[in-house]
Order: sequence, then structure tokens, then C-alpha cells
Amino acid sequence: MPLIAPVHVLILSVIVIPSIFVIWLSVTKSSFGQAPTWVGLENYLRVLSDPAFRSALWNTILIVVFAVHIELALGLGVALLFASGLPFRRFLMVAVLAPYAVSEVVAVVMWRFLFDPDAGPVTLALQAVGLPILDWSFEPTHAMLLIALLTIWLHLPFTFIILYAARLAIPADLYEAARIDGASAFQAFRRVTLPLLGPAIVVALLFRYIFAFRIFSEVWLLTGGGPARSTEVVAVYLYQEAFSYNAFGTAAATAWIMVVASLVLAAGYVFLLRRQVVSNAH
Amino acid sequence: MRTSRLLTGCGKAVAVFALLVWSLLPIAFIVMSSLKPGREIFAVPPSYVFTPTFEHYVSLWRRWPLFFDGLLNSTVVTMGATVLAVIASTCAGYVYSRNSTRFLNASVLFLIVVRLIPPIVVTLPLFPIVNAIGLNDTHLVLMVLYATFFVSLGTVLMKTFIDQIPRELDEAAQIDGAGRLTVLRRVIVPLATPGILAVSVFVVVFAWNEFLFAFIFTATRAKTAPLVISEMIGSIDGVDWGILFAASTVQLAPVLLFVVLMNRYLVAGLTAGATKG
Repeated sequence: MPLIAPVHVLILSVIVIPSIFVIWLSVTKSSFGQAPTWVGLENYLRVLSDPAFRSALWNTILIVVFAVHIELALGLGVALLFASGLPFRRFLMVAVLAPYAVSEVVAVVMWRFLFDPDAGPVTLALQAVGLPILDWSFEPTHAMLLIALLTIWLHLPFTFIILYAARLAIPADLYEAARIDGASAFQAFRRVTLPLLGPAIVVALLFRYIFAFRIFSEVWLLTGGGPARSTEVVAVYLYQEAFSYNAFGTAAATAWIMVVASLVLAAGYVFLLRRQVVSNAH
Repeated sequence: MRTSRLLTGCGKAVAVFALLVWSLLPIAFIVMSSLKPGREIFAVPPSYVFTPTFEHYVSLWRRWPLFFDGLLNSTVVTMGATVLAVIASTCAGYVYSRNSTRFLNASVLFLIVVRLIPPIVVTLPLFPIVNAIGLNDTHLVLMVLYATFFVSLGTVLMKTFIDQIPRELDEAAQIDGAGRLTVLRRVIVPLATPGILAVSVFVVVFAWNEFLFAFIFTATRAKTAPLVISEMIGSIDGVDWGILFAASTVQLAPVLLFVVLMNRYLVAGLTAGATKG
């Protein structure tokens, strides 16, 4: 029993107790060097009615919805491509995994350079073929697009691996049987691959929802939330409240809104995992 | 039949090519540009043939000694966090693998739930506390934070790997008079090496690359390499792209090499981590 102590001491003292303390912060008003005073739910109301928070929440939801689903589609495509048999599989696998090693900071350097509005290689290529360029330092929508691209690039290895492992676990006999029954490649995908990948798709999606919801560094390093707070996401809003405006109460309320949103997603995850365990047992 | 096969072959080749461009081109651009003479970095069209030069690395060394301090800090913090996370996770994973009580099963669920709390949440109370006890801007605070945010995944991973080691081996050692710690050290650890490596890959990559905690909890002495690079981007009017590329390459190279060498364990860890918890 004492052997599980280090893990639980770390988690309790660094994550659990501080998170609970954040509840206390969220119902009080305080800033550095001041005694906190009780304000009830005022901070939550203030955050929820703040246009800056709403815009940050909207941006976060956009990233979660667009980036994560596009990433899933790409990850699925790459997983099926690998499963269809490729030469140099080991090498290609490592190539696909490479972005996993890249830090958010370096990824931002890369994509800023590639999409530099004046001289970035991708900008020039887009101009050369007459396509519109991403003017991300002025246009909030373009900045969000670049952030989404960056996130997809960084996290595709994760989604790919989950789906590829699940695809490899599907017995080849099933495809054999489908072929003998006269199923086309598309029918085999529709009736064999997709249903059997279902649980893995759910797992990959939920993980990515939860992680995309807390996105901070990519946004902070690329746009800093600007121009004029238009590209802020919830975590950046939280950071600004706490560390730029010293408003720990509203920051704490934002933090708990994030926790609750993540826990709701987690509850869905645990529920599905349970059901999966049960269905495996049968 | 033959033409359709040829078509699929071509389609696949195109897809693989697109995949390689997508994954590797951004990395290749950074590394290549760090070796280009300054005026060629933004040459139109981009130059692919050039005489490599180390001028940017030399300027990096001269003008940003801070970056090399950052690399040293990153190294110390990464090693500390990895050792801490691996030891804690192995011990706990062993207990969870060999025992099953209602309390333990409930606490596994607790480990999973804890993973879902966004790290930025805990910075609010920890920032004043860390300041108050004088741990601000130290390696220790980053090591503890990084390790803590991975011990829950680490424990679940180690449990999955240790589950595959037959219990008979523990029992045989116990009959020979070995205590639990000896069993752990002599029997479990040697056989659970793939698990330990999988956990290490996660922690090393995370700790080496992490930005948010380093940004909030360090100021000067313990600043890590990603933070120094972010300051280089920050000095936006005078971004020296050559130096920035050199620094990015130096920060990226070791961890990329590590991931390439350990890709097997990364894949095993990601798969086990996602399906088992």
C-alpha cells in the first residue's frame, strides 16, 4: 500500500487540492495582497456575461468542432492507407509520428514562417496558383484557421495511432468473408471497418475534445489572442484575467467552467468505456 | 483489372507523397533554413540548393547565451521529471496490477478523472503558494508539476504492462524470501522495461517541450529552452529568422531523434493509454 502513496500524494497536493481551492477562489473577490471577500456566484455571472469570454468560448468551440473532426477524418484516412499495405511501412510510420516530437513553440515558428504574409513559402505558393492567402496577423478568421491547421498537424500522430491500432485488431477473416459475399471495398468499409472502429473513434474523439478545449500555447504564441482579443480561447482568457488583470475571482470561475466542461466530456468517456468493457465481457 | 490496380497504386503513391509533405516538410524547412545564408531564407522562389553555413548557429551562440542556459535547464527538468514520474508510476502500477480491492478500483477511476483537469486550472492557487514558499523559478517546481501531470497515465500504463508479467514469478521470488520491494526491483522492473520506456517517452517529450507551466512558474534562473525561443519570436520587430531557426533546430533535434528511436514504445504507450484508461 505505501507504494501507491507517491502517486496519490503528488496528485492530491498538485492537482486535486488546488482545484478544490479554485472553487473557493471562484466565489470570492481577491487580488494580490488583498483579503478575499465572499461574493457568491457573482464571478460566474460576470464571466458568462463578458463578451470577451463569449467570444473566447466560441473560438474554442470552433477549434474543438472543426480541428478535431478534420483531424479524425485525416487520421482515419492515414490509418486505412497504412492498413492497405505500404512499402517502407516502418519508415513511413516514423515520418507520420515525427510531429509528435515537435514543441508548440517550434511548431508556431514553423507555421508562422510557412504562412508569413509577405514571404512565407506557402503564401508564395498560394499566390503563384492564384489562391487567396492567409492574412492571419490581421484577419481573426484567418488566424483561427492557421491555429486549427497547427493543432491538427501537432496531434494527427495521436489520432492516427489510436485508429491504426484498432484497425489492425480487426481480423482479416471478416474482410475475406465480406469479399466472398460479394461486398465492394466501400461496402466492406461501411459494414466492417466503421462499426468495428467505433469504440476507438469515440476514444480518440473524446481525448481530442478534452485536449483541444484547453488549448493555450498555440494561440498564445501565434496571436497572443489578438488582434483586439478576437482570437482568444478560454485558456487564454483565463490567463489574461489572472495574470494580466489580477482578477483571480473571475479567472477561478473560468477555470471551473473549464473543469466542468471537461468532466462532462469525461463522464461520457467513462460511460462509453464501461459499456465497452461490458460488451467485451459478453 | 490490371488498370484498376495500377490506378490504386498511383492513388496510394500520391497519398503517401502528400502525407510525407504534410508531416516532414515543415520540419525540413526549419532545419534547411537554419543552414541557409541570411538573404536566402526568404528568397523567391525558395532555394533548395545552397552552400550550408553555420553562421546562424554562431550568432545564436554569441547573442543568446540565455538559450543555452535554457537547454541546460530543460535537460535538468526533463531528467528529474522523468525519474520521478517513472518511479512513482512503477510502484503504483505494481500495486494496482497485483491487488484488487474496492478502494483500489475506485482510485483507478479517480486517476482517470484527474487527467481531465486542465493544467492551467491549478496555476491559479499554485502560483501564489509557490511564490510564498520560495520555489518560484526553480527546477524543482517544474519537475514536480511535469511528473504529476503524467503519473496518472503512467500508473495506468505500468499496470497494463505489469499485468502481462505472470504472478507466478512474484510468488516464486516471495517463496525464496524476497520482500515486496525486492520483487519489484528484481522481478518486475527488468520485465516491465518496455512499459518504463513507454512512460519515459511521454514524460520526456512533454517536459522537454512544455510551455505553459514554464511560462508561469519561471522568471530567469530556471527558464527552459521553449520559453527562450518564445522570447525570440516575441521580439517581433527584429525577428532574426536565421537565429530563430537555429534555436528551433537545436531544441527539436534531440527530442525528434528520441521519438524516432523509441517509436515502438511510443506506439505501444499511446495504444495502451487510450484503450485502458
